[in-house]
Amino acid sequence: MKSIQVRINGDLYEREVRESKTLLHFLREDVGLTGTKEGCGAGECGACTIFMNGQTVNSCLVLAVEADGAELQTIEGEAGPNGELSPVQEAFARHHAVQCGFCTPGMVMTVRDLLQRNPRPTREQIIHGIESNFCRCTGYQQIVEAVLDVTGQLSDTEQEGLKYV
Amino acid sequence: MLHDFSYAAPTAREELFSTLARHGKTAEVLSGGTDLLVNIRAGISTPLHVVDLKGVAELAELGFDATEGLSIGACVTVTRLLDDASVRKNYPLLIRAASELATHQLRNRATIVGNIVTASPCGDMSSPLLCYGADVEMASAAGTRRLPLQEFITGVKQTVIQPGEIVQRIIVPTTFCGGTGNYLKLKRIKGHDLGVVAVAMLRYGKKIRVAIGSAAPTPVLLPEFPSDATAETIKEAARAAISPIDDVRCTREYRSFMVEEFIDRLLKEVRA
Repeated sequence: MKSIQVRINGDLYEREVRESKTLLHFLREDVGLTGTKEGCGAGECGACTIFMNGQTVNSCLVLAVEADGAELQTIEGEAGPNGELSPVQEAFARHHAVQCGFCTPGMVMTVRDLLQRNPRPTREQIIHGIESNFCRCTGYQQIVEAVLDVTGQLSDTEQEGLKYV
Repeated sequence: MLHDFSYAAPTAREELFSTLARHGKTAEVLSGGTDLLVNIRAGISTPLHVVDLKGVAELAELGFDATEGLSIGACVTVTRLLDDASVRKNYPLLIRAASELATHQLRNRATIVGNIVTASPCGDMSSPLLCYGADVEMASAAGTRRLPLQEFITGVKQTVIQPGEIVQRIIVPTTFCGGTGNYLKLKRIKGHDLGVVAVAMLRYGKKIRVAIGSAAPTPVLLPEFPSDATAETIKEAARAAISPIDDVRCTREYRSFMVEEFIDRLLKEVRA
């Protein structure tokens, strides 16, 4: 066991962890933050995406001990202090960019990272930007629309169409 | 859940090499972890000790100077290479290949050196590094040694690296700085995927250099061509050098066909 100190969504945690424990399992099992999901466990699907020192990582491919001293942000830190949804979360809800919801936490992290690096991505850039995250329900269309909407790029006709969804 | 192992992150070189020497074959070196942790999870790799290189500050150095060229330390991530202005200016093929490597999240962790040490036939960085004439510098308690990349990788996921030894950096000479070219990678889907086959071509003055990935047990560097070489000359050399196989991702025939197709497209590009 090793002692580590990490800041998660602003709060400092000190824990003893098994050296072989992944950061993903540390978050879920030791800290109790189960919003971050395990899909493939091998860096293919992006369901475990979190921010580590300002960059997105697959938390299934990081050991908890490697995160000693790191700043982490997970989906639990996405909404405001009183539970108000972030603009990305709002847009996902508005566009039904969620079906089973399993990929959503990782997808929201990835989208937020994409928008930090590129505040007004084109449709092509959005599709490329979320290639790291698998969604087996939506076919991605609603997710792309949510990102276009949150960046103010949906046409009036497309906005109108939303009324009937 | 992963099997139990010890974890050490030495901060000094001497401590790193003595730790590795002490554990020998029972240790695995960790840097980005994007291959190691996948292999541990799959039971392919079963180290008793994991030794993290990221504590040693000098292994994270990335630098360019006009005499030695580009030095890529063991812990330099793919993202850092992509963001580096001197790499963008002097080694465009490295940028092309690095941006095709896996996903953004993985590029934030995965290292350039790790891509070479894994020695997969489809490793994205191998072909462009071969075109640029890169060397691999290894280090252990016994000292350092340096080899051309084509002598470092000996087979499918096989290298000359010994227990107790690490690759401390890759050195890319300035010989071909200012050259133009591209890296073309065939994938099964538009999103991220392992390369089914890939060709890198670099034109520098009166020379053309070509390297091919996923078409033989190791990435292949063809003999140098004069810049007016015909497509047929290059294809003939490629046919002689590669030995593609049928596998889950592609047939031998399609691999051979696409190598030649990519040579045509790249030649057109470097002569435009």
